[in-house]
Amino acid sequence: MGQTFSFTNIFGKLFYTQKEIRILILGLDGAGKTTILYRLQMGEVVTTKPTIGFNVETLKYKNLTLNIWDLGGQTSIRPYWRCYYSNTAAVIFVVDSTDKDRIDIASKELHLMLKEEELLDSALLVFANKQDQPGALTAAEVSQALNLTELKDRSWSIVASSAIKGEGLTEGLDWLMDVIKDEQL
Amino acid sequence: MSTSSYKKGDPYSHSASLPDKMTVFQECLQQFNASPVNAKKCRQLLSQLLRLIYSGESFPSQESTTLFFSISKLFQHKDVSLRQLVYLTIKELSSTSQDILMVTSSIMKDIQSGDLIYKPNAIRTLSKVLDPTTVSASERLFKNSLVDKNPIISSAALVSSYNLLPIAKDVVKRFTNETSETIDSYKKFPSDQFQLHEYYGSSTTNLPSTTFMYQYHALGLVYELRNHDKMSLKKLITSLTDHQALKNSLAVIQLIRFIHKILIDDESLIGQLFPILLSFLKHKSDSVELESCKVIISLQHLVNKYEFANVINCLQKLLNVPRTATRFAAIRLVNKISIKHPKEILTVNEELENLINDPNRSISTLAITTLLKTIGSGTIESESSIGGESVDRLINKMTSLMDEITEDFKIVIIEAIENLAIKFQSKHKKLVKFLTDLLRDDGSLELKTSIIDTLFDLIKFLKNDESKQLILMNLCEFIEDCEYTELSIRILHLLGDEGPKTSNPSYYIRHIYNRLVLENSIVRSSAVISLSKFAIICGGDVKTNIEILLNRCLNDIDDEVRDRATLSLKFIKNNEKRLIINESKFDLNILENKLIHYLNDESNFESKFDINEVPLLTMEELNSKEIENKLNNLDKNDDVEIESNHKSHQIEESNEISNELLKQQEFSSELSSIPEFSGYGKLSKSTLKPIYLTDKENEFVVTVNKHYFMESDDAKLVLQFNITNTLNHLILQNVSLICQPDNSLYEEDFILSIDELKPQETGIVYVVFNMPNIDDIELFNNFNNTLSYVNREIIDDNGNIDESDEGWSDEYPIEDLEILPGDFIHPIYNSNFTEIFDQLSFEQSTVVNLPGVKSLDNAVTHFKDLFNMMPLEGSQDLDSDANSHILKLFGKDIWNNKVAIQVRLALTGGKVAAKLSIKSDSDNVAKFIVESI
Repeated sequence: MGQTFSFTNIFGKLFYTQKEIRILILGLDGAGKTTILYRLQMGEVVTTKPTIGFNVETLKYKNLTLNIWDLGGQTSIRPYWRCYYSNTAAVIFVVDSTDKDRIDIASKELHLMLKEEELLDSALLVFANKQDQPGALTAAEVSQALNLTELKDRSWSIVASSAIKGEGLTEGLDWLMDVIKDEQL
Repeated sequence: MSTSSYKKGDPYSHSASLPDKMTVFQECLQQFNASPVNAKKCRQLLSQLLRLIYSGESFPSQESTTLFFSISKLFQHKDVSLRQLVYLTIKELSSTSQDILMVTSSIMKDIQSGDLIYKPNAIRTLSKVLDPTTVSASERLFKNSLVDKNPIISSAALVSSYNLLPIAKDVVKRFTNETSETIDSYKKFPSDQFQLHEYYGSSTTNLPSTTFMYQYHALGLVYELRNHDKMSLKKLITSLTDHQALKNSLAVIQLIRFIHKILIDDESLIGQLFPILLSFLKHKSDSVELESCKVIISLQHLVNKYEFANVINCLQKLLNVPRTATRFAAIRLVNKISIKHPKEILTVNEELENLINDPNRSISTLAITTLLKTIGSGTIESESSIGGESVDRLINKMTSLMDEITEDFKIVIIEAIENLAIKFQSKHKKLVKFLTDLLRDDGSLELKTSIIDTLFDLIKFLKNDESKQLILMNLCEFIEDCEYTELSIRILHLLGDEGPKTSNPSYYIRHIYNRLVLENSIVRSSAVISLSKFAIICGGDVKTNIEILLNRCLNDIDDEVRDRATLSLKFIKNNEKRLIINESKFDLNILENKLIHYLNDESNFESKFDINEVPLLTMEELNSKEIENKLNNLDKNDDVEIESNHKSHQIEESNEISNELLKQQEFSSELSSIPEFSGYGKLSKSTLKPIYLTDKENEFVVTVNKHYFMESDDAKLVLQFNITNTLNHLILQNVSLICQPDNSLYEEDFILSIDELKPQETGIVYVVFNMPNIDDIELFNNFNNTLSYVNREIIDDNGNIDESDEGWSDEYPIEDLEILPGDFIHPIYNSNFTEIFDQLSFEQSTVVNLPGVKSLDNAVTHFKDLFNMMPLEGSQDLDSDANSHILKLFGKDIWNNKVAIQVRLALTGGKVAAKLSIKSDSDNVAKFIVESI
């Protein structure tokens, strides 16, 4: 009996996609978070306005149900990010690779966020976005500016992306899915 | 009404059956943060939460914010019903929780591309969530929703825009075109609107395709946007009525109210707008007809008798409809007309008589009270037997009805009888009998109190001694068997005041003495005081007898009774009349005001409270005030309900009347705090109601109060100009006034001007004149006024002005101000005009024509306002078709002379002529009044 019971338990975790995976998209204002969200959900580029608050969408990706929260990046809204940290499996941090002036601020916000207890177990995926634009920093340069190498005890990755062209997004997400599946087993 | 009694009456707010607040709170946090979200469970929790909120519970800011954030997480779920509940809850929490702007984007997305079912909810919630910084982001969205073809969405957007007005007027102003377009458009529900709703299910065939409700909402918004532009409002009204664009009856009602507002501001438009009102009297909706009647009734003085008959016909029709609510509304209006113009509604008497037997008690009560008035008016000048009979009949009917109706209605009828008896004093006898019969029946304290109140008032205001005695004797009978101590005490007090003045005081003494033997100690002690009043006033045998009676009380078992008896005996022995009988009272409003002032600042305690600062009122003055209030309440009763801003205005007004002395006191202390006025002595009189010298919606609004200092040898007139700067882009500096008197006896002394007046600020300019005194006769004067100031334009958002620019000076002519006889006179009540008129020794008379006054009604108001005196013996009410009238006015001037004026009015060929006989204690006063006309 007991054996069967625990078996279904493991079985459920593996194959039932019932459990939703919560993912946050964070980053400074104008980094392209909302564009990435809808590119992922609908596969097309929508015109966006600065997000006052958040957008939330549910999408199926490779048999998994993803619950993706795109939180506004304006200074006034950043303090409220923490209200949405609990139960988060992964954070997607989006950086505007052309915005060299504010990359320090981005770095500060990122590390501040990762210190939060509720996010200790979450994976981190960084999109070095807007690669389609001239003068964009490369993924490596962004990684250095964000001091990603300092991160210990966390699965993380950085992917160069262009939400407009749809480049890099699936790669990033694939990596994220692998990590999450590993962790859930 | 207290909270507890409210809860008792409301079956939905039994606190026992409410879910526990904290449990719900905890469970909400748990469920809303769960993953995945259980939609059904969350819906139940939200419903419980809403129920708590709707029944008056609230959460402190922090908890509310926590709740809000957890609710915001439910946006991840697509369930439409859940989303609707989420919106309802956020709307409720928006007032208590912080950071509600966090859901802005999610809501905007729902409005843009969400499900039709919750779109209206989303729009309404958005208006609560937006603040001035985020509102512009939603402008496009609102415009699209306003012109949406679906009426429900359009309505939601209209109502939400309306709610946004206080925080973002500029943005909403840009919706004007869309809103106007909506009024004229035709929007119908989508065919599947109701199928989506399980409640309607299959029965969708009989549902209307549209209700035009959006017209009502759009009209409300357009009005707010155009409110300050009278011309464009007028254009809106005419264009909407020309092609009968409004299909929704609520919208039409709203339109009628707007017409009313415009007419109140500018009565000259009646000619243009009256036909519109008239056309609504034949509308298919009862409510529209009623509203139109109501407006015309409130503007009755502008409408001639022939045209007014349309209203009566319309009401007559409505009194017969089967719908109870309509009949009720109609009879209320008829009742309202009956207060001032009972003759107009004689034609509906038959309907009224039928309605006495109406199954709805509210209607039958109103029918009776209305009939009381019409019958009263029919017989007022001639005591014809027909009139007398109908009063009898009515009283019989009332008596039979009294057994069936609840006490609340009895009280209403009792009040109606009181009003009737005050207005038509000739009718009191039967009414007194009716009241005293009622007093003998069983009844609660409340009912008896209202009867006693009425009888007390009648004693005060009736001039006939015989009827006074009748009431007093009935009251004596009542206290012989009265179970309510508080009523016995009141009656004993009254008997003490009135009894000694009657022809048979011993009758009352016997009844009062019975109290000493039979009642409890509280009643006994007031009987002691009452008896001592008889002793001191009647003197002689009565005095000796009462002394004997009181001596017996010295052995009473109760301290209080013994104390009072001892004290009274001492007073009676020394003939200390003043200590037993109050001839004057302190003005309680002012006393309270002064005491609060005194207690608020401990430094005041060094000196004693000076009771002499509080004016004493003689009984005569007190009575005048009381009756004035009563008559005013009578007239104002129904006007109060009109509209919000108008309402507050009117309440202010009626407060003003009741607190006249308080206001005067305020002016007095305000003026005495200004050092320049310190040597002027006591303020003799102020005009209390500010007089407008500009239109109320001008760039600068100027009102004026006149203050007279007449006690010192050189009399002074202080004009207090209250100036409001309504322009947003201008600061006024060196604001002053140029006042040119016509009368050379007025010499300008000095001016206290305003240095700077910022936008939306009100400042006061005082202009002081040396003025002639009463001996000079030529008191009257006309001031020609001009406002002068320096303009400084505001250049930035912080209200700063360009320092380098010196501005430019400008003048602004405003209306003239007159010194009127009413400025020097207080209204006083007296129950017997003829007697007092004959007593006064100095007489003057004059005849005048009143140009511009077209009806007797207006002439009465004209003289009442001009002289600021009290109309006596109901002479302010006149028959609408009479050609002559006698107005009796009484008052007291500020030099304490009594003034009585009898005005004979005659209407010939559309012109009013008046013959005035003025009598006074002083020749000067009579002369100066003649002079003024």
